[in-house]
Amino acid sequence: MAAGTLYTYPENWRAFKAQIAAQYSGAKLKVASTPPAFSFGQTNRTPAFLSNFPTGKVPAYQGDDGFCLTESNAIAYYLCSDALRGTSPQASAQVLQWVSFADADIVPSASAWVFPTLGIMQFNKQATEQAKEEMKRALAYLNQHLNTRTFLVGERVSLADITVACSLLWAYKQVLEPAFRQAYPNVNRWFVTCINQPQFKTVLGEVKLCEKMAQFDAKKFTDVQPKKDTPPKEKKGGKEGKKEKKEDKKKEEKKAAAPAAEEMDECEVALAAEPKTKDPYAHLPKSPFVMDEFKRKYSNEDTLTVALPHFWEHFDREGYSIWYGEYRFPKELTQTFMSCNLISGMFQRLDRLRKTAFASMILFGTNNNSTISGIWVFRGQDLAFPLSDDWQIDYESYAWRKLEVDSEECKTMVKEYFAWEGDFKHVGMPISQGKIFK
Amino acid sequence: MALKELSSLEKFLGLKKPNKYSTQGDRKVPVLQSNSGPGLVGLVTIATHLTQEAKKPDLLGSSAEERAVVQQWLEYRVTRLDGCAKEDIRTILKDLNTYLEDKVYLAGNHISIADPLMYYGLHHIIMDLAVHEKEKYLNVTRWFDHMQHYPIVRHHLPPVAVLRNRVYTSGHH
Repeated sequence: MAAGTLYTYPENWRAFKAQIAAQYSGAKLKVASTPPAFSFGQTNRTPAFLSNFPTGKVPAYQGDDGFCLTESNAIAYYLCSDALRGTSPQASAQVLQWVSFADADIVPSASAWVFPTLGIMQFNKQATEQAKEEMKRALAYLNQHLNTRTFLVGERVSLADITVACSLLWAYKQVLEPAFRQAYPNVNRWFVTCINQPQFKTVLGEVKLCEKMAQFDAKKFTDVQPKKDTPPKEKKGGKEGKKEKKEDKKKEEKKAAAPAAEEMDECEVALAAEPKTKDPYAHLPKSPFVMDEFKRKYSNEDTLTVALPHFWEHFDREGYSIWYGEYRFPKELTQTFMSCNLISGMFQRLDRLRKTAFASMILFGTNNNSTISGIWVFRGQDLAFPLSDDWQIDYESYAWRKLEVDSEECKTMVKEYFAWEGDFKHVGMPISQGKIFK
Repeated sequence: MALKELSSLEKFLGLKKPNKYSTQGDRKVPVLQSNSGPGLVGLVTIATHLTQEAKKPDLLGSSAEERAVVQQWLEYRVTRLDGCAKEDIRTILKDLNTYLEDKVYLAGNHISIADPLMYYGLHHIIMDLAVHEKEKYLNVTRWFDHMQHYPIVRHHLPPVAVLRNRVYTSGHH
């Protein structure tokens, strides 16, 4: 019987699937959802966690035997008893059918409808109405199936019931008010029976069905939204302001057009919901160096003949600084793809730094003999990482040195790292891959 | 009939040692023989006693309300269902069908002693139903089918065929 640890943030319905499956099968499952065992947003960004679970997403399962697994359905399946998986080929295929149904036909509409009521997604009337219609279709289908059946597959609770019930959990708690759900008596009967089984109850606690459909929580939404989603300030000088506005608008439109299709994973939602700190550079005077403009040049034009000359022509020595960072533990780097993940992971975690920074990081060498180093351009004269709690995950793994902007060394390094070509005399290994933070 | 049912019930409860039963009166009321003193008389009394004997109090209901509902159905079984007139059968099925619309089990969210006892009492009635009637009393049929899939419930009784897909789609709900 499987025994291991499930990493998740608290009250995660995806994790519930695995937890309930373990209740039925008797698998010894420890749940790590609170500090010190696990703190969401920190533990799942540590190199140790990422080496087991490269995406950093939860729920993630690690067996006592070291066996690692991601994706909630796979984890739940692994923790199931044979009976839960379906004992005949037909039954187990039907279980899979319902697991897929939950993912494809319930989760998108449930999320699009419920998330705005929890204040973790912007409200869009059209999207909510569309989600309601999709939810009606899914419930009607379930209702018809459960007309003649007690449980979804066979005559006992299976992984199908666990999965589908969990995917409907938030909808039943938040929005499926009595007037709405009365059209689906068979689904209601089945759902209430499921959540009242002792194995469900141990995990879910007492589930209170929705009494009045929750509406969009505008206040909560503004409270938890990351800063970048708030409208740009009224007064913004010239081109820069305009461009940003346009971008924001585009973002809004995109969201409005296809919220169901690109509905946020709870993981991302929870990430977005993390409290945001203030602009750490608010105290600095405005800089003449326009980061976006340089990035455009870098992306669209030749590095050596256009982007670099532009960089040096406009670079603001007062407002910005240039740093060299080198990975401190090159001996621990093994497979190159893993090292690349290390870099992209770091970039991801520094997402909010993108506005004000630019970097080129390069992996040198080959499997089991490699090193990582890069050039970073930061706002201000200090290393940016300590300015925000969110940025401190990776930087201590690197040795940082501020470069003398006008020195020969700095000019060479900037040129070589930005262009991904040159001698790289200080490294002594050929380039494997480069990554740009912009 | 009642004696076979009690022996099935013993198995359902996991009682290893079979008890001795006899019947009394014209209606063949079951009596549980005991070595000391007079026997226990009546299906409900015996079933309740056996459940306590088996140390499975949850099967009598896990809350005060549930215990009351379980008793209600045991009473219903002996007073309304057993020996009911033919013309009453439809009413009984209709009522039961409405009751079971939002329930999987007769009392609470888990099986209780009321479920197998009602299943035993209804078995001959459901056996005789035509396909379209089974569809008419869809919730009863669903509940009945669920019961007969408990191997520990259906001991002495033959399984009843239940169609999953409705044949008479224009019929009643």
